Amino acid sequence: MNVELTDLRRRFGRTEAVAGVSLQAGPGVFGLLGPNGAGKTSLLRMMATVLAPSSGRMELLGRDPGDHADRREIRRRLGYLPQSLGYYPGFTVSEFVEYFALLKDMPPAKVPGAVASAVERCGLSDRARSKLRSLSGGMLRRVGIAQAIVNDPELLLLDEPTAGLDPEQRMAFRALLREIGGRATVVVSTHLVEDVGAACTEVTLMNQGKIVFHGTPAQLTARGEGSGAAGDAPLERGYSAVLSEARA
Amino acid sequence: MTEVNEPLDVDLDRVWTGVAARVWCPAPSPAERLVGWLLRSPGLARALVVTPSLMLGWLVASCVVLIAGIAATAGTGTPYVALLAPAIAAAGIAYAYGPGIDPAWELSQSLPVSDRMVLLVRALAVFGLNAALGLIASAVSGVAVAVTFGWLVPMTAVCALALAGATLARSANVGVAAGMAGWAITVLAGRALTGTFTAAVTTSSLVLPYLAVTAGCVALVLYATRVPGGAR
Repeated sequence: MNVELTDLRRRFGRTEAVAGVSLQAGPGVFGLLGPNGAGKTSLLRMMATVLAPSSGRMELLGRDPGDHADRREIRRRLGYLPQSLGYYPGFTVSEFVEYFALLKDMPPAKVPGAVASAVERCGLSDRARSKLRSLSGGMLRRVGIAQAIVNDPELLLLDEPTAGLDPEQRMAFRALLREIGGRATVVVSTHLVEDVGAACTEVTLMNQGKIVFHGTPAQLTARGEGSGAAGDAPLERGYSAVLSEARA
Repeated sequence: MTEVNEPLDVDLDRVWTGVAARVWCPAPSPAERLVGWLLRSPGLARALVVTPSLMLGWLVASCVVLIAGIAATAGTGTPYVALLAPAIAAAGIAYAYGPGIDPAWELSQSLPVSDRMVLLVRALAVFGLNAALGLIASAVSGVAVAVTFGWLVPMTAVCALALAGATLARSANVGVAAGMAGWAITVLAGRALTGTFTAAVTTSSLVLPYLAVTAGCVALVLYATRVPGGAR
């Protein structure tokens, strides 16, 4: 298993953002769904080793992120796209991706090839030498994805990756996710239910810091059948039904 | 003998990626290569290049303030350069790294090259550069050697105070305020006790307190940037 979480908790003052999450994940694409404030971003930040858990046990890529040497190794093999991607406006696309490749401790000789490959896979070849300040929001999001995949990560964590992407770009992105998910663990936090249906092999639904559903998209869809829950698509009705049950 | 012309089996994608790699990622500058070699980390060398307070705008602003200090020193005889240099360096240090200052701060928290190393390297680079600029300005303004070198220790203390403020509060503005306020209080207290503005940089009995402040602030920074162990 690439991700093993046991009773993971994270408090911010009196608020418990993540309230006892247990989860196991091997290779595949895992969708993390939930309303705003459900704890998705906090959970993702803990898995990215940015945020330390208040309690519980976490093992990533077979290592303990609480141990200094293990954490460094995990970070070498990790890709992370935060919800809000900060960038250096004066950098070009390739410079930005190269910067993070170097900070991920990649062997310098391998960096140029990895940068070119990541930029191409994200459909940014024609903008590789454009300054980041000149790019649209959707393009910046793809730059963020390129830096996340540049080291060919075994654990890829993406927070709202499709925000700002147009439908064509989203379809290309889902194909990329499926390709990466064939050999790595990809965790995608989103509140776009259609992304989950199209790209994810499993889905976890969070509410108020807890997991209220874990299964396949088909199983989530089945929860909505005949429930009379709101939603424009079967998966959305499943999502609404599970959330209504959890809140009841 | 018949010659058979068979098409070469060329992986065009691979060729294109190789070409793109060469064009998009040119070799780093000699200076960056040297820093990367010295630090044994090309990533840290690149992190230095993007230090906000090593950018051209900052350097120009620092030079302008020090040139004004040289002119004021020449006009009044008071070594303003010695009084300005610690404050300038403190601002540079506070704005070297941190949330809200470094756009990619959140991402840098998830990287194997630790943010403490990035902070340390950037702080040292900014400190070294400001010290060099201050020394040149002092030498140009022709103040006494005691004053020229006298502000290096207080500058270290003020920089450490600014760094500690910025790191603890996670705000560069708080760091600058702490550094400026600490330095202003020291200069004014020195003047109140001795009647001269330069007491803060010429009184040898202040060296130990400055060093104590530096040590205390460095300890605070190390504590604030410790890597959280996390739950096991």
